[in-house]
Amino acid sequence: MSTVEFSNVSKAFPGGAGKAVDDFNLKIASGEFVSFLGPSGCGKTTSLRMLAGLERNTSGRILIDGVVVAEPESRLFVPPEKRHVGMVFQSYAVWPHMSVFENVAYPLKISKRPKAEIAQRVTEMLAVVELSGLEQRMPSQLSGGQQQRVALARGLVMQPKVLLLDEPLSNLDAKLREKMRVDIRAIQQKLGLTVVYVTHDQVEANTMSDRIVIMRAGHIVQTGTPDEIRRAPVDAFVADFIR
Amino acid sequence: MRLRSALSIRSLLLFFAAALIFILCVIPFASLIYRVVSADGDFSIAVFGDVIAAPAVRLAVVNTLKVCISITALSLIVAVPLAWLITRWDLPFASRARSWLSLPFAIPPYVGAIAWIYLANPSTGLFNNVLGAPIFNIYSVTGLIFVETSFLYTFVFLGVTSALDRMDSSFEEAARLSGASPWRVFRDITLPIIRPSLMSGGLLVFLAAVASFGVPALIGGPARIYLLTTQIYNFQRIGSMSGFLKAAALAILLMFVALFLLIASQIVISSKKMQTVSGKTARPSTFSLEKWKWPAFAVVAFFWCVVFVAPVTGILLSSLSRTQGDLALANFTLANWTRILFETDETVRAFRNSLLTAAGAATLASVVAIFVSYISVKTRLKGRAVFDLFSSLPYAIPGTVVALALIMSFSSSFLGVLPSLYNTLTLILIAYFVKYLSFSIKTMSDGYRQIDDVLAEAAHMSGANWSQTLVTIWIPLLMPALIASWFLVFMPALSEMTMTLLLTGPGLETIGTLTFQLQEYADASGGGASVLALIVIATVILINVIVKRVSRGKYGL
Ligand SMILES: Nc1ncnc2c1ncn2[C@@H]1O[C@H](COP(=O)(O)OP(=O)(O)O)[C@@H](O)[C@H]1O
Ligand SMILES: [Mg+2]
Repeated sequence: MSTVEFSNVSKAFPGGAGKAVDDFNLKIASGEFVSFLGPSGCGKTTSLRMLAGLERNTSGRILIDGVVVAEPESRLFVPPEKRHVGMVFQSYAVWPHMSVFENVAYPLKISKRPKAEIAQRVTEMLAVVELSGLEQRMPSQLSGGQQQRVALARGLVMQPKVLLLDEPLSNLDAKLREKMRVDIRAIQQKLGLTVVYVTHDQVEANTMSDRIVIMRAGHIVQTGTPDEIRRAPVDAFVADFIR
Repeated sequence: MRLRSALSIRSLLLFFAAALIFILCVIPFASLIYRVVSADGDFSIAVFGDVIAAPAVRLAVVNTLKVCISITALSLIVAVPLAWLITRWDLPFASRARSWLSLPFAIPPYVGAIAWIYLANPSTGLFNNVLGAPIFNIYSVTGLIFVETSFLYTFVFLGVTSALDRMDSSFEEAARLSGASPWRVFRDITLPIIRPSLMSGGLLVFLAAVASFGVPALIGGPARIYLLTTQIYNFQRIGSMSGFLKAAALAILLMFVALFLLIASQIVISSKKMQTVSGKTARPSTFSLEKWKWPAFAVVAFFWCVVFVAPVTGILLSSLSRTQGDLALANFTLANWTRILFETDETVRAFRNSLLTAAGAATLASVVAIFVSYISVKTRLKGRAVFDLFSSLPYAIPGTVVALALIMSFSSSFLGVLPSLYNTLTLILIAYFVKYLSFSIKTMSDGYRQIDDVLAEAAHMSGANWSQTLVTIWIPLLMPALIASWFLVFMPALSEMTMTLLLTGPGLETIGTLTFQLQEYADASGGGASVLALIVIATVILINVIVKRVSRGKYGL
């Protein structure tokens, strides 16, 4: 399991007004579940994508497991395919032309694991996300919740250093959302994963996280456990948002 | 009472539009078939067998297949990597490169033929003169494939870039996070997902290649390489009834091949369609070219030079050269320009005729589209899909066939009502209208779709009837679409060559036919065709800029 560190990370989009993320500093411990919480447009997704390598920070540095993966000052950038992080997208991004099995097996196939090992690992992973028996289904035959679980299994099958989730529950109905909250947290605890979870929903952040990072307009406003933040919000914005 | 009169105006106009489409877009083809199978008094399809049996036709079929398959394959091979490079890598000037590479889409390919004849003909071609040896011979199957591909690749390029833009970028990002290299992402994820666009792009290229006339006539003609379209033209030019029947029979076969391909591919493509487009289109994370940045840019720039800069420069030099293919300073002159623009009666007539017919067709098509698109988008009328189908039929049918069908239907007095339209500008105008009506309808339908019904409902509430609503609400709101629709018909019609060559007659020159005539015989060594071709290029680019402005980037290049 792995640590993550953001140190003075900023991101300005070309042509964008101001910085989308400004002087972001955060250390995440191994096995920790950290949520980025804040209103839409505050820079949560951008921060997460910089950690994944899908977006380049314009200054500062990002470390995974103590190794620098992005530091523009020294022209250092590890592309996403070499970072060993798993990610679950808001749109799930389950590949429509591949079966459930092929979707989950893909990362293993890329790293050229033997067939038998792939079959075994995929079966295990599908059991973890409770999709056993649906191996041969195509994504078009799955419900939103099931696609979500395929995406989760695919993100986990490589035993990534960190699992990143960007508003993974926002397209599900209320009931399913509640169940997935519990399930994701349970899987994280069971596998001892380091998780970064992006959401604008304070209930999700409160119920799942070890620690919450509250953001506003590209800045971190407060960091703390759900309890700490509820008891001592730094300002009215946080108090209002966490309520 | 007011409601009833409103309803009747509306129904009348809608009925009129429907009738016009039926008479102009459907009946001519039916009558072409009827006239051919009933030529010797009773029904017989023997004429098709006779035509196919002719050795010249067999050869034309083989040539057509050979040439068109090569063009399609080459177009896919060049356009797909280019589209991928431009949309998914951090190529310098990527968005500018995209419009540059789209430019040949707007230019009629016969302009390219004229340019490449100047640059690479075996006797006086500029490249051969410079190199001092006859290395290039544009009058060849290779030359034909090359020139056509240098224009038609844009069909694939435009379709694939837009599919790549619309594709949910998280599909590819998920693959990258799974450890896939850029190439694996492309092979395993991107390519399978954009396959439907790839196939329809390839099909469009194939159909356009099968239908093409200008390039095969100008480049294939001197080498005696005939394709189906040029073979049909040869039959028609014999001038006899039997020649005309042969041309018509071959045209019908060509029409069915085109329609069959279109329908078959529609079935295949729709069965493979997948839900891959997400509502949100984030800018996808690009792959990094690193040290290959400038080499990759150089390749793209070189390609652009081959497909655009070289032919445009060639045409410019040609139009300024006294002797074609000679680069000596003393050889340059404005004589071609003055001769063509001021000393040739035909030029003035050609411009007048082209402007009149293109503007007429554009206006008629846009007006008809106001009604037809209204029906197909804003009403639940039964059978409204038929309008779309009928109006897009002629676009799918090769121009050569459309022209023959119109000659067939309108050369004797039509249904005993209209006088014969053979050898009139009206018939040329009708041909442009029929051929390009679907552009108008598509543009106007898009326009209607973007306007919320409540705006018209609000007008109804305030007491406006249907025609008042149309004039005061729809048309003003549709103005950008209407302007785009007008130009999208006007532009190809202005320089149309294929149909016009079959419909033209004494005094009916157009820019397209005059260019052909100058290039083929009237001014073969003079660069006169290049003068006109350059004017066509300039006009086309200007119009594209205008269309892009008024449609706020939606149409135009
Ligand atoms: N590709 C982009 N180009 C320009 N600006 C962007 C891009 N992506 C995000 N932004 C801007 O960056 C800011 C943060 O966006 P984002 O990280 O998506 O916010 P969140 O995920 O918190 O809703 C927003 O103001 C957004 O408009
Ligand atoms: Mg977001």
